[in-house]
Amino acid sequence: MRGYVKVFVFLVVIMATVLSGCKTQPTEQAKPAVGGKLTVLCTPQEDWCVALTQKFQADTGIETNYVRLSSGESVARLRAGKDNPEFDVWFGGPADGYMVAKNEGLLEPYVSPNAAVIPDALKDKDGYWTGIYVGALGFCSNKKVLDSLGLPVPTSWQDLLDPKYKGQIAMAHPATSGTAFTAFWTVVTLNNYDIDAAFTYYKSLHNNILQYTKTGSAPGPMAGRGEIATAIIFSHDCVKYQEEGMTDLVISFPKEGTGYEIGGVGIVKGAKNPDAAKLWIDYVLTAKTQELAATVKSFQLPTNPDAKVPEKSVKLADVKLVDYNFTKSAEAKKGITERFDAEIAPAPKE
Amino acid sequence: MQSLSLNRSLREYRRLASDWTLLLGLVVVVVFLAVAIVWPLLKILGVGFSADALALYRKYFSSPVYLRIMWNTVELGLVVGAVGTLLGFLFAYVQVRLDVPLKKFMNLMALLPIISPPFAVATAAIVLFGRGGLITYQLFGIRNNLYGFRGLVLVLSLSLFTVAYLNLKGMMEALDPALDEAATNLGANKWAVFRTVTLPMLIPGIAGSFLLLFVEAIADLANPLVLGGDFTVLASRVYIAISGEYDTLAGAVLSLILLVPSLTVYLVQRYWVSRKSFISVTGKPSGRHQSIRNPLVRWGLFAVVMLISLLILMLYGTVVVGAFTKLFGINFDFTLANFEFVIMGLGSQAMGDTSAMSAISTPIAGLLGMVIAWLVVRKSFAGRAVLDFVAMLGIAVPGTVLGIGYLLAFNAPLKIGNNVLLPALAGGTALAGGWIAIILAYVVRSVPAGLRAGVASLQQIDPAIEEASISLGADSSVTFRKITLPLIRPAFFTGLVYSFARAMTSLSAVIFLATPEAKIMTAQILNEVDAGRFGNAFAYCVILIGLVLAVIGLLYVVVGTSNGVERDLGRAR
Repeated sequence: MRGYVKVFVFLVVIMATVLSGCKTQPTEQAKPAVGGKLTVLCTPQEDWCVALTQKFQADTGIETNYVRLSSGESVARLRAGKDNPEFDVWFGGPADGYMVAKNEGLLEPYVSPNAAVIPDALKDKDGYWTGIYVGALGFCSNKKVLDSLGLPVPTSWQDLLDPKYKGQIAMAHPATSGTAFTAFWTVVTLNNYDIDAAFTYYKSLHNNILQYTKTGSAPGPMAGRGEIATAIIFSHDCVKYQEEGMTDLVISFPKEGTGYEIGGVGIVKGAKNPDAAKLWIDYVLTAKTQELAATVKSFQLPTNPDAKVPEKSVKLADVKLVDYNFTKSAEAKKGITERFDAEIAPAPKE
Repeated sequence: MQSLSLNRSLREYRRLASDWTLLLGLVVVVVFLAVAIVWPLLKILGVGFSADALALYRKYFSSPVYLRIMWNTVELGLVVGAVGTLLGFLFAYVQVRLDVPLKKFMNLMALLPIISPPFAVATAAIVLFGRGGLITYQLFGIRNNLYGFRGLVLVLSLSLFTVAYLNLKGMMEALDPALDEAATNLGANKWAVFRTVTLPMLIPGIAGSFLLLFVEAIADLANPLVLGGDFTVLASRVYIAISGEYDTLAGAVLSLILLVPSLTVYLVQRYWVSRKSFISVTGKPSGRHQSIRNPLVRWGLFAVVMLISLLILMLYGTVVVGAFTKLFGINFDFTLANFEFVIMGLGSQAMGDTSAMSAISTPIAGLLGMVIAWLVVRKSFAGRAVLDFVAMLGIAVPGTVLGIGYLLAFNAPLKIGNNVLLPALAGGTALAGGWIAIILAYVVRSVPAGLRAGVASLQQIDPAIEEASISLGADSSVTFRKITLPLIRPAFFTGLVYSFARAMTSLSAVIFLATPEAKIMTAQILNEVDAGRFGNAFAYCVILIGLVLAVIGLLYVVVGTSNGVERDLGRAR
């Protein structure tokens, strides 16, 4: 019997510790304390999310929590929580996703005083989202693997269709990842907005794809480890992996032209902590905050003209960019991702 | 005739009702099962058979791509079931029937997967045996493609075969050696004995293991997501439908399709295989098994099992080494950065949340399992079999399906008119930050293990002991507490250990339920693996394994006796 008293005490102690732990969260949430709390939906690389939320919390005293989700997943989550949102602010990820969210009424407009310095091309005219970084899409290849396959570094979208690449290319799934959608829309743009032509291209490319990942940047480390020859990812992510020690990686760009992203930030409609959310936006638009990215090896180009451009960053002037129309892409996004998911991603390879 | 049986069941209920603790126990169990299993499943059925859904079925069943995906799912289940059962059988046979060195080591390697998170093996396999793998490429220069069917079979078999091992080991130990001796005395050689006596006796165990592995393999959403390549299965389609589009309709329809093979297999196992059982255990078997002497068989089997054990050791060794390595396979410098990232980042919240939710669910699942076992074995009332069946659904329904059911059932408050009957339990704005739904899911997934262990051990205890207690004036609750519980203590302990390990390592059932307030470690590990930050993923795995081991150790100390734990675990599954 004494054994059972011990068990009971043990369980009670565990339950008590645990309950005391979880009780603090809901009660604090219930308090409408000004600037007490902030929940960020964070789309860039995880280490940037960590660095930024911790710095923000330290500087403002606002208890800041985040969940990292890819762009497509983020919109899906915001849609799911439309009536009772769990997030206050969405940070990072291509503007296409923000345009979709804006069109679906998932965002709240806010023009930060700090947004004045941001060029007009890099923010929504109605203030639903503001650009925080820019980066170009590229090919991130493992030189050693390319050599062993007898392939040159790819410099064109057509290069990737070479049968020698069979099972040697990876990209993310456009339904979950904004990176992959940017890649898709780039090909649409190159074909004069002919979506069917882009599908034809990705159907052929499908034969060379090893795996569609969940997160946009994920193919980068696959290339870095020699699992594949080429990853279709944002070039700044490739720089990050090079800097982190994946030294076989080389960056190249398609000569036809490549897409780019404007990473956005916006307030979630019906946010529980709107004041903290506004403060967050003011905060991330400052030059000082944007310079933080490079400290965690995120080499996107800052949108604030006063922020120092990291030496390692890929300069847009060196790359041929397509005329990426974020309004058009947002309108077509849902149809494209659904069609991609139905027709391409699960299809067997030839 | 009918009125007679109706009368009898009415009488039974009246007898139950006269004992209020018993009644309370029954009510708690029924309410729990109704809310946590039946309601979510009904929700899936409701959505899955709506008018919109029918069009989707038509689409899926007429599309060669989706038919292929369904076949892939079944094929994966069949092959993993077969390979995993074979592995379990080999390990168990060596353990029980061979007199060879290093058996303790092999036993440990076979048990390791039970406490390990779902991606440990997959990630380690990629860095060791993938195209850029340390062994395949850097040692032998082979660019081995691990993505796809082969890789999934390797990873899933090695992660899941523990179930088969424990099951078959328990069964082999329980076989009476007298049978073998009798056969030998009648002139049969060892091979004939194995073929005509041992193997037929093990058929239920082999079939049972195969079926359990089948269900686990087709329910797995995580490994196909990171290692599937162009081999797509239903579970990962469910994940993309929900996370990419939040398309609950497609999620529910795919879940229902996934539910069909799982439930079929479960029913077959329950009502057909168990009936084929030859074994009737009456106490401990007498005598000792004769070891196999044939050196070819003995050392051949030893070599095979030893090789696989070393493979497992290598895979988990990679997890540990990788956790302290900058970039495994590229830069082997020692670093603590992975741990720093995991602990300083949001890892610590995920660790805290997951451990706390697991710790809360563990005693609940343990107690519920024992109470249901006791009700099922000791009490007679109509609906007893239904109770057992519904409780066991927690394991027969794939985790992914359960997760979708929870999403549909608990994401919005349940209202009748304007009155809130049940507030939202899942999602970011739910009651208690979404903790309740996750804890419920953990409990549901863990109850079957404790239940089976409890049933097995109660059936071996003479009810006369409990009846004596009742005769002496104790009521049901005192009897349960003072007589029954101490007698089934090893089973209870097994239930606790298993519940905790299972909760900490589960992913499919809870991945859709994670919120900013309730972060789940395995979901974080999925993020790290998917994003290719293997060092962080390894660090997470090491911490998770450490936490599970620490709690099991603590439970050993407090609840005591490791006696029969392994055996019961085997039965539990």
